[in-house]
Amino acid sequence: MSFYRSSAAQSPLRYDTVPALELSRVSHQFGKFEALSDISLRVEAGERVALVGSSGAGKSTLLRLMNGTLMPASGEIWVLGQRLDRLSHKRLRGVQQQMGTIYQQFHLINSLRVVHNVNAGHLGRWPFWKAAASLLYPLDVKIAARALEQVGIPEKLFARTDQLSGGEQQRVALARVLVQNPALILADEPIASLDPELSRSMMNLLRDLTTELGKTLIVSLHSVEFARSHCDRLIGLRQGQILFDAPATQVSDDMLEALYQRDVPARSQS
Amino acid sequence: MTCWRLSINATFQPGRNHDFVVMQSSRYLASGRRMERRSLWWVAFGLAIALALYSSGIVQSAIQGELLNLGGWSLVQRFLAASLHPDLSSEFVRLTLNATGVTLAFAVCGTVLSLGLGFVGGILSSEVWWQTLFPTRPALRYLGQGVQFGLAIPRAIHELIWGLLFVNLFGLDPLVGLLAIALPFGAIVAKVFSDILDETPREPLHALIHSGVPPLSAWLYGLLPQALPNLLSYSFYRFECSLRAAAVLGIIGAGGLGYEIFLSLQSLRYEQLWTLFYALILLNGSVDMASAALRHRLGAPTRLDLNLKSRSDIPSQELHPHESDNLQRQEAARTERVARSALMGRPSTDWSLIGAAGAIALLIILCFSSIGADWGQLMTATPWERLGAIAQETLPMTVSRAELQTLARLAGQTLSMSLLAIAIASFGGISLSFLAAHNFLQPGGLLFPSRRTEPGIFKNLRRWLMVGLSRLFLLLCRAIPAPIWALVCLFVLFPGIFPGAIALAIHNLGILGRLMAEGVENLDAKPLQALKAQGTTAPLVFLYGVLPLCLPRFLAYSLYRWEVCMRETVIVGLVGAGGLGRLLTEQLSSFDYSGVMVTLSFFVALTFGVDWVSRQMGRSLR
Repeated sequence: MSFYRSSAAQSPLRYDTVPALELSRVSHQFGKFEALSDISLRVEAGERVALVGSSGAGKSTLLRLMNGTLMPASGEIWVLGQRLDRLSHKRLRGVQQQMGTIYQQFHLINSLRVVHNVNAGHLGRWPFWKAAASLLYPLDVKIAARALEQVGIPEKLFARTDQLSGGEQQRVALARVLVQNPALILADEPIASLDPELSRSMMNLLRDLTTELGKTLIVSLHSVEFARSHCDRLIGLRQGQILFDAPATQVSDDMLEALYQRDVPARSQS
Repeated sequence: MTCWRLSINATFQPGRNHDFVVMQSSRYLASGRRMERRSLWWVAFGLAIALALYSSGIVQSAIQGELLNLGGWSLVQRFLAASLHPDLSSEFVRLTLNATGVTLAFAVCGTVLSLGLGFVGGILSSEVWWQTLFPTRPALRYLGQGVQFGLAIPRAIHELIWGLLFVNLFGLDPLVGLLAIALPFGAIVAKVFSDILDETPREPLHALIHSGVPPLSAWLYGLLPQALPNLLSYSFYRFECSLRAAAVLGIIGAGGLGYEIFLSLQSLRYEQLWTLFYALILLNGSVDMASAALRHRLGAPTRLDLNLKSRSDIPSQELHPHESDNLQRQEAARTERVARSALMGRPSTDWSLIGAAGAIALLIILCFSSIGADWGQLMTATPWERLGAIAQETLPMTVSRAELQTLARLAGQTLSMSLLAIAIASFGGISLSFLAAHNFLQPGGLLFPSRRTEPGIFKNLRRWLMVGLSRLFLLLCRAIPAPIWALVCLFVLFPGIFPGAIALAIHNLGILGRLMAEGVENLDAKPLQALKAQGTTAPLVFLYGVLPLCLPRFLAYSLYRWEVCMRETVIVGLVGAGGLGRLLTEQLSSFDYSGVMVTLSFFVALTFGVDWVSRQMGRSLR
């Protein structure tokens, strides 16, 4: 896809030789609560990985560690060959520009028109003056229109974002990530706020676009069905630990039952 | 009723495990009836008002039958009679038009300057600015707090005092009026703007930052657009405030309507007075209407909610169903326009908004050029030398014991005056707001949500007349500056803090009543419809639905306004009502700067105290 200006091509790193993402012995606590303990995993470029597990298992924390929102209490996180917690602020920004994140609550700028929200994908590359000018008179409209066409809502280009339905807002968020054109796409429960019909088409979009554009996808999901049907690898998280990490075809019903069984109080186990 | 009792008897059998339920519920009952500590604030507040009434001396004089100065009654009659035949000679009308232009120009320029100052100050004193731009240096946040603290002092001092101070620096130049509005209002705007910026949801901003967007772009793109409707809405309100301030500043010599009103009143020419009053009412009314229309068009929130949100400890409605409906309708029209224009084209332009923006820009340029302030003075050394000299004079800040006692007594008077004023103003404002709200008594409105509007206009005429008259009354109250009301009160009342309090109350009643009427109009009608659907009569819908929905927000806003009343006691002090304001104006006109400094410190401390108490009380409304 040469349509989007790719900054990956200009980087001296060769992405095909380093893993897209690597975590080794990562732990993280919130106060005394151990959110993640001793997580090690490796994601190759082009993989589609689903994080599954019940609420509170640590899926969101893991994603927030991956995109540099949180820094791990211990362990190492490598993204595209760079160790996140060793980077200067500026270098971290450079790596973050290579990761696009989609959130369950969209986190769009509601009072702006859709075109500006899609254009926000350029902001890592645009100089300040261009960002400011574009707010007054939208620039690079063709790229935004093209991205919206890819996610199936070309007619919403100049609509106000807060007037869109949930499904449409999530598509705007995806269009922004397309314009950002990162090497990795992270998605935190992207379909949790959508109805089944919209969920399916959103997951289809995510699968097809990442395959077509050769992106790496890491998506946390509540629905195991979608994880199995749309991803090629499943990582099961339970109480902050990896319970299994297997190709989608090899994930058995027993493994899933173990993943979702009701928590046994820690006292009675010991 | 009998049915209900029967069903209770049928299901409630004592002796079974209901006993447990009874025990539990009686415990909850007890906890509900126990007086909460925070409601003690309200008891104390009530006692304070009673004390203020007593100390103002009206109780004693009422007992002795000396409350009213009946000798002034004929003056009142003449004054009221003049309202029917104002002076409409071409000469005086021309003078009035000129004066109106001057007042408007001061208000426009004062607003522009204070918004500029407030925007910069607001950004610099907001937490989110420092956190976003310097995430690695948390210590810089204290810088923001420092800016905020520095702005608290110009905010606490009324624009009139600034005006009197600046007259001594710059002489009688239009610059005085402009700076007197710009400085305190700039500080107020900065406070509100920084609160708005800090209250804006930050998730979109963080989403941008964590995808590698440079901080300044992220702030501009992810935060500012979200805050913009609130910022704009508040800016329009500021303009309304500046207009009232410009009228008051006219009295101390800035010219315009305030000055002419003062002259006519002093020379007892009531016909002229009413011509000027009508001009002021027309000016205020049209500005208020234009600002309401623009705010509505932009889908911006009302001031009641803005101020309450900025205090963050008080309940407020997020989006009014009323306004969101409207937004949706506008949006539907807009999308249609977009759909009709070429798909890849630019967004269709909203010419009426662009026209309004152009007109405003032209007005600003016109006003600045017509005022002709001597900006060069700021560059010359003279005013700064004078300022230095004044500062030196204030330096040995000595207070004798006797002076301290006087100050304490006057501070007590000021406090009583502000308490009485806000008590009367909020009671009157809340009562009138319901009459002035267009959706209250009308069929299909809040009280009669299910009834359709009757076809004939005349059937509703009486109701519309009531709405119109109460709105006109509120407009009259707020359009006339408080010192003028004070002078009118002095026709029949003996000088003292009581006429001052009444004057402040009348002026603030007009402001409160209008804002609260807007609040009533934006009320969520769904809970009321639910009450109505079970056959509740209108008075009970009011008691159980409308009042509980409105009252906490109205009381919270009144508390906020108390602090404003406190500052405004200065302006009625100018015309002889007592308190610190009178002392301050005396000291300023006799160039006693060391005394001014001491009094001001007292006054600022008192304002901060009132702010603290009103915040504590506001919390109990949460």
